[in-house]
Amino acid sequence: MTATDTDLICAIATPPGEGGIGVIRLSGPSAKRVAQSLISVEMKPRRAHYCQFTAEEEVLDDGLVLWFPAPHSFTGEDVVELQGHGGPVVQNEIIQVLCRHGARLARPGEFSERAFLNGKIDLVQAEAIADLISAKSRAAAKAAMSSFQGVFSAQVTALEDQLLGLRVAIEAAIDFPDEDIEILEQARVGDTLDVLITSTSALLVQAEQGRKLAQGITVALVGKPNVGKSSILNMLAGEDAAIVTDVPGTTRDLLKVDISVDGMPLQLVDTAGLRETQDTVEMIGVQRAREQMQRADHVILVVTAADVVANEAGFLANEDFEALLQRLALEAVPELGEVSAVNIHLLVNKVDLIDSKLRGSHPWPATYVSAKTGEGLAALTKKLVQLGSGGIEDTVFTARLRHVHALEKTRELLVQAKRGISSGIGAELVAEDCRMAHQVLGQIVGTVSPDDLLGEIFSSFCIGK
Amino acid sequence: MDFPERFDVIVIGGGHAGTEAAAAAARMGAKTLLLTQNIETIGQMSCNPAIGGIGKSHLVAEIDAMDGIMGRATDLAGIHFRVLNASKGPAVRATRAQADRALYKNAVRDILEHQPNLSLFQQSVVDLHVEGDTVVGCKTEMGLNFYATSVVLTTGTFLGGKIHIGHDQHAGGRAGDAPANALAERLRALPFRVGRLKTGTPPRIDGRSVNFNELEFQPGDDPRPVMSQLGRRDMHPRQVHCHITYTNEATHQLIRDNLSLSAMYSGNIEGVGPRYCPSIEDKVVRFADKPSHQIFIEPEGLNTTELYPNGISTSLPFSVQLQFVRSMVGFEQAHISRPGYAIEYDYFDPRDLQHTLETKALQGLFFAGQINGTTGYEEAGAQGLLAGINAACKAKGVTPWEPRRDEAYIGVMIDDLIHLGTTEPYRMFTSRAEFRLRLRQDNADQRLMPKGLALGVIGAERQAHYSAKMRALETTSKEMGATQIFPDSDMAKTLGLSLRREVTVKECLKRPEITAADIASVLGISNDEDMAYKALAQLEIETKYAGYIKRQEDEIEKIRRHESMQIPGSLDFLNIDGLSNELRQKLDHHRPDSLARAARIPGMTPAALSILLVHAKAKNAAVAS
Repeated sequence: MTATDTDLICAIATPPGEGGIGVIRLSGPSAKRVAQSLISVEMKPRRAHYCQFTAEEEVLDDGLVLWFPAPHSFTGEDVVELQGHGGPVVQNEIIQVLCRHGARLARPGEFSERAFLNGKIDLVQAEAIADLISAKSRAAAKAAMSSFQGVFSAQVTALEDQLLGLRVAIEAAIDFPDEDIEILEQARVGDTLDVLITSTSALLVQAEQGRKLAQGITVALVGKPNVGKSSILNMLAGEDAAIVTDVPGTTRDLLKVDISVDGMPLQLVDTAGLRETQDTVEMIGVQRAREQMQRADHVILVVTAADVVANEAGFLANEDFEALLQRLALEAVPELGEVSAVNIHLLVNKVDLIDSKLRGSHPWPATYVSAKTGEGLAALTKKLVQLGSGGIEDTVFTARLRHVHALEKTRELLVQAKRGISSGIGAELVAEDCRMAHQVLGQIVGTVSPDDLLGEIFSSFCIGK
Repeated sequence: MDFPERFDVIVIGGGHAGTEAAAAAARMGAKTLLLTQNIETIGQMSCNPAIGGIGKSHLVAEIDAMDGIMGRATDLAGIHFRVLNASKGPAVRATRAQADRALYKNAVRDILEHQPNLSLFQQSVVDLHVEGDTVVGCKTEMGLNFYATSVVLTTGTFLGGKIHIGHDQHAGGRAGDAPANALAERLRALPFRVGRLKTGTPPRIDGRSVNFNELEFQPGDDPRPVMSQLGRRDMHPRQVHCHITYTNEATHQLIRDNLSLSAMYSGNIEGVGPRYCPSIEDKVVRFADKPSHQIFIEPEGLNTTELYPNGISTSLPFSVQLQFVRSMVGFEQAHISRPGYAIEYDYFDPRDLQHTLETKALQGLFFAGQINGTTGYEEAGAQGLLAGINAACKAKGVTPWEPRRDEAYIGVMIDDLIHLGTTEPYRMFTSRAEFRLRLRQDNADQRLMPKGLALGVIGAERQAHYSAKMRALETTSKEMGATQIFPDSDMAKTLGLSLRREVTVKECLKRPEITAADIASVLGISNDEDMAYKALAQLEIETKYAGYIKRQEDEIEKIRRHESMQIPGSLDFLNIDGLSNELRQKLDHHRPDSLARAARIPGMTPAALSILLVHAKAKNAAVAS
């Protein structure tokens, strides 16, 4: 036994997108029992069984299933692998069924974490795992948040504020019953709970809708006018990639295109046309673009081969490449301000226009294409796939699923609290349901300590004899 | 000179922490000495004459479960009892008693004077004897040396105490008592972090000058609760009423006009006061839009006319105190018998303590009560109990008592103090206890007595009472599980139940509309002081709360696993990659020693905890190899 949680976790183990095979992994003491709810064959240790994955008599997928009993598995716990046919929709359904049977979605890096804690990975790798968890958590949080255009984050925070407010009122009523302060009446607690339940439900609907799109990471295309951003977009959308949806931007200045690159979903945002007007709408457009850029997982800075030539001197004079990138980005779109160079990827367009000598040397670590001739498309596709998967298993898709689950649990607890109010149970049980709801929501936004709560009480009410 | 006899435990201070500490150590068979400046003030209630209240009576119940003094003394001295939160559920239900100061003091002293193994001695302590990193005894004012294995320091507000009334200030540990300055200086030289806190009291009023006809009165509750498990109503003295008045616009104007004369608002006080017990100056300034504040007038005792107007603690000059008091209804002719004042005192950062309340720097030295930055008799008493028990454990060389957060409010308090420290006088609230549904007054003995019995801190009378209670619980649970109520039976009709099939009484108790009192009345158990009645009440709670308790138990199980994951002290929190800067700073500030403690730090997320877990485990493995 280790000190970690021993609940059952599950996740999609193969890279995101529509691959040929999609593997779902389960780890935890009840892995076999829960997996067994999907399949009819009796699994034998370390044997591959071919079978159908069914839920409520509906066949979801078919494929191979393998059971690795503890401790001889990747994590050191009981592990079951369901190897099906990939595709986000099918995998999502299977994950949902598993969660209904008692599994929960793994946190980023949690499989590796368990493997480490069970001694399956040696000490040397430990720090790497912590870094991995950190990187994945950041990526996942950002992915889940950004995919709702920032609305999600703001609404979860607003929900948390409301819940905190309610708890402050309930806890104040409990801890300071004979103060002459206006403590929430039972009925108003009920009303507030109704509001909270409605907000949570609305948020869930949004989250569910967003999840169906499974749009993957967001890549913003930026550059000076006429560097060929739109042509690149068309090149990507028009060639072997298919346009899934064509969503008009949040303003007329932003174009968002959902594309699929090698089966991996990706959202491209074109920030073209930003500098053409200076009216009020345009200002809003700039503001949106800035937000979009900060929210985008990656920024592709498009320059032309001529820019390379123009800046060659600076580069050869050992100008720091990152500084150069930032300078170029700033020159291209000054309104956007500075962006961390880590997320900027340089794309050099119009390589067909420069002489072959320079084309051969490719002095900057960049992707070189010609939207006109189609040269370099394979390299660009490869680059995007690399950005999209980032080597991480935790996509927008699962990150968001985890948030959806947290929200569902929150709603369930709030509904229970509300039922409690209606049936007239003691305030302490309503308080307990609200505490648990707050704790679950805290998995998205961070925990709140009792002392924070007390601080709120003291600043809201005049307490004390 | 050296005192001819050696002790196991010396307790310095005779307040609520000191008396519980001395009595607990003595109950465990340790040869104990209680040293106090003044034997006459043992068990003195320096602030308001009340014991208990939300969260606080829970502490009293736990002290009581370990056979401590506070609950018993309150039943002998309480002149007004109330149940708070009666409708909000059994876990947050609390008992509060107004106590006659003189009776309370007498009761405490009587218990101490009948306690075997305990001696009292009146002398101020001026120094501690330290050998290496171990405290071995202390020295009094007259140069008398006492030696013991453990020394418990419970000096309350007496260390470097400074009293403020308006711009006047003087040294004092409590109105009328000298501070312990020599000891404060000595302790400041030891390796402890020291801070300043402040607290205040209101002016006292002579009841003969109050027009009670104009005041609302508040009687005690009927049926009247008791404080101790051993308590009975017939132990209580005569009962009296409390009264209520209010501040008004004129009061607030007077206070605003004279704010610059207040010690607190003129910058004379460096100590931090409690947010939940603001001075009247604070209330008027911070909640300026509130036209009136409630003042709860508590009797000081049966044989005195003095009153304690709770809610107007102040450090304004006496002349202003007199004016604003007289601006209130009923107080127009009021005579102030003692001026209100603010008091500043030293406290030691409780993060320098271990779970046992023994200091980390000096072996054999324990701190309990206000010295650790807490406020309140109950908080002090609970710490005294724990320090006294552990001081005796140290002398006996046995495993100390370290109650957990899910076992006791005492555990919550100690854990909060030693891990988070405090920036204001720490007071207990039920919202501090995440597992408060388990930490009830009614089950304090079930939670703690098995441990208390193992430690040998529980006397024979208490033990017998406990056994009887446990037998009654078992019997009741069995009987109620077997007794059936049939559809259309008399019992079903009396209870207003429409049944399709027969149910047991126990099942029936799950229904929100059926209470233990209903069942008791059907079964003909009318006396609520009966064991059988109490057992029914507890059965009701256990039945109704089963789902919640189960959920909390799962949570506790998870925390226990996290607790077993220790974070090595050498881990450099500031250099953990992947954590936000803010979290790194917070971790470095709190320096949690287990994953469970880290999880309680505000802003912690599951991912951050995972990262910490991996680093802790890696560090542990590195240390081991």
